[in-house]
Amino acid sequence: MPELTGWAVVVALLAATVGVITASDKSRSRWGWLLLCLFVPPALIVLFFLPALKLYGPGEQPWRRWVFFRVPISAFVLVLLFPFYWMIITTVRPDKELYRPWQAPNYAPFWTAHPTLDHIRDLLTTTLFSTWMLNTMLISLAATAISLFCGLLAGYALSRLKFPFAGSIGTGIFITYLVPQTLLFIPLSDIIRNFKLGDSPWALILTYPTFLIPFCTWLLMGYFKSIPKELEECARIDGAPRWKAMLYIIFPVAIPGILSAGIFAFTLSWNEFIYALVFLASPDQKTVPVGVTSELVRGDVFYWGELMAGALLGSIPVAFVYSFFVEYYVSGITGSVKG
Amino acid sequence: MRCIARRSLLKLSGAGAVAAGAGGLAGILAAGRAPVFAQGTTLHWLKFVDFVPVSDQLIKGKLKEDCRKALGIGLEVETINGDGVQARITSAIQAKSGPDILMAVSNWAQLYADSLADVSDIADARGNAEGGYFDTAKAVANDGKRWLAMPFTILGVLLVNRTSWFAEEGVKADNFPKTWEDFRAVGKKMKAKGRPFGQTLAHAFGDGPAGWYPYLWSWGGKEVEADGKTVALNSKETVESVKFAVAMWKDAFDEGAMSWDDAGNNRAFLANTISSTSNGASIYLLARSKADTYSTETGKPLKDDCFHAPLPGGPAGQFSYHVPFSNLIPTYVADPKPAKEFLRWFHSKDVYDQWFTSQQGFSVGSTKVWEDDPVWKVDPVMAPFRTAAESGRFAGYAGPAGRAAAETISKFIIVDMYAKAVQGAAPEDAVKWAHAELVKIYAG
Repeated sequence: MPELTGWAVVVALLAATVGVITASDKSRSRWGWLLLCLFVPPALIVLFFLPALKLYGPGEQPWRRWVFFRVPISAFVLVLLFPFYWMIITTVRPDKELYRPWQAPNYAPFWTAHPTLDHIRDLLTTTLFSTWMLNTMLISLAATAISLFCGLLAGYALSRLKFPFAGSIGTGIFITYLVPQTLLFIPLSDIIRNFKLGDSPWALILTYPTFLIPFCTWLLMGYFKSIPKELEECARIDGAPRWKAMLYIIFPVAIPGILSAGIFAFTLSWNEFIYALVFLASPDQKTVPVGVTSELVRGDVFYWGELMAGALLGSIPVAFVYSFFVEYYVSGITGSVKG
Repeated sequence: MRCIARRSLLKLSGAGAVAAGAGGLAGILAAGRAPVFAQGTTLHWLKFVDFVPVSDQLIKGKLKEDCRKALGIGLEVETINGDGVQARITSAIQAKSGPDILMAVSNWAQLYADSLADVSDIADARGNAEGGYFDTAKAVANDGKRWLAMPFTILGVLLVNRTSWFAEEGVKADNFPKTWEDFRAVGKKMKAKGRPFGQTLAHAFGDGPAGWYPYLWSWGGKEVEADGKTVALNSKETVESVKFAVAMWKDAFDEGAMSWDDAGNNRAFLANTISSTSNGASIYLLARSKADTYSTETGKPLKDDCFHAPLPGGPAGQFSYHVPFSNLIPTYVADPKPAKEFLRWFHSKDVYDQWFTSQQGFSVGSTKVWEDDPVWKVDPVMAPFRTAAESGRFAGYAGPAGRAAAETISKFIIVDMYAKAVQGAAPEDAVKWAHAELVKIYAG
């Protein structure tokens, strides 16, 4: 019951916010006022009388939980999700509405009365978007697999093995991650040419690990340090060689960390721009970030509807990966932080 | 240059019927001469994605086929967005590998001068045949000794204005303000009605310099002396121009333009929030091509409520800054002959005419002969672009448009000088800062 009441307050406050926005829009002010009248008074009443209702047990402080946690986090989630909402609304908004100013009569910035799928259709039919998606997926998966494999071994070695200069090697790896890609792409162009990899997915599959491996190594180093050494030592006492202890004891425990490193690496590869721009030339070899901006930004004219459709469809695989592994991912991050 | 793939070679030459079916032999016979290059020669041309989509379609379709028939050269055209071109050129020049022809904007040719093939023979021949180049086209592609690049086109920049709103103030195309004072006076009245002018003061790579360089020149300000070394920015004229800009900005301009990128003024004009802005013809051409989409506040098509006019002038005269494009042939290309032959062919009157016509006036051409093209008679709203390039100057004035001028543009020193003053710095201090920055650039 208290939970329900609390959430009712959050929903009422959100509805009241939408009401304020709607009421400020002259053409829809009636709906806005209706929302305001319907939701604001009950929300205020509940907020004021919630403690008096004594729905919580003694010792609990419901006010604190709502005021300092749930309401702020709802607002935070709203702010974080707003760009996605804006992408969706711009994707389905007809061109005619895209350039209307805020002060125009009957202007509805947060929704459209005439949704259209034209932009998605244009994106899929007039550009090579599906090919770019496939390329990006292939390149990201391959680069992530390579980087994770190397990062795992390097991270384990740097956190567990004792050898000269281990600390400085770790710092060195971290420093390589700090060198900006905008500097590295020029010497890397030379290497790509020497190996005749230009305009092929291998150009990216082999260059992305240059920034992904240091990243994975550092993340996993932190995570491995958080795993008690005793676990491994027990296995060693029982006669397991180091590689078996690593493979069967440490890695299974480190799965959350490995997954979070993998997800991060996948996202970084998916969004990478400068190498993909420089090393790939043919339209059918391009990745989503480069393909979309090459085709849909023409001089000083941006095809906003198609651009947002591309951004939206392009972010779905990443969101999909996150949603599946979110729990592991969160515990992976906290694990490495502990270390 | 890239060798053709085995499979493509089979496709092209596998059987006579295939060649004839594709118009290959017929094309060769129609051309009246054998192709210059053996079948299998392919050129990779990296160019900006064109604002006018039909122009890119023409190159990738008909002209590509015509090129194969006429020269025996297969054309591989890669189009990318303007923001990414410089990274591609830099990496190609550095790695000595990449496209055979690279399209450059502004004076980038000067940045890569040591790595570019001499194209003087084809550029001079074209200039002589077509009445000479505009100063802007020559300034960016010629270093005084040789042609570093083949001029491709110039994008004209003019003020696009709202006809009905200016008419309310008694202003039409033929009595459009000729001086900044008059422009400011009209703008003050219009801003009071919620119809300000729009001009970016941010780092917009096209609209920033195209708006503020000609403004500076019109007051008599200049970056350097004619020797190309002595920085001359800190002058009475420049300080006057900054003082006037601060007042004009407050009186007549949309102050939100402080953060506009190149698309900012397009968006504002198409959304009916500004009455005048310096731009290429992209705003009008977009409004014309999508007349149902872009309308005025009264619901009539926006395209019927636009006219173009040159920027007003100042005490030193009236100037413009149009954006030139040119094609580079890097020295890493082992045999530059096919690339040169292609550029010679592309810029021949009959071939270039097809591309020029497809631009509908967005491009004003690099040579003077294109001022007489029938395309200028199609739409009276576009007519002012016909002679626009004649008043063009280029960055680096009064010196050459060399490396230092390119660096000054890419660091937005001139634009930032005005931005600092508008944001509250004393005009003298803003000019002193910009002068000091230029001294550093020109010393290096």
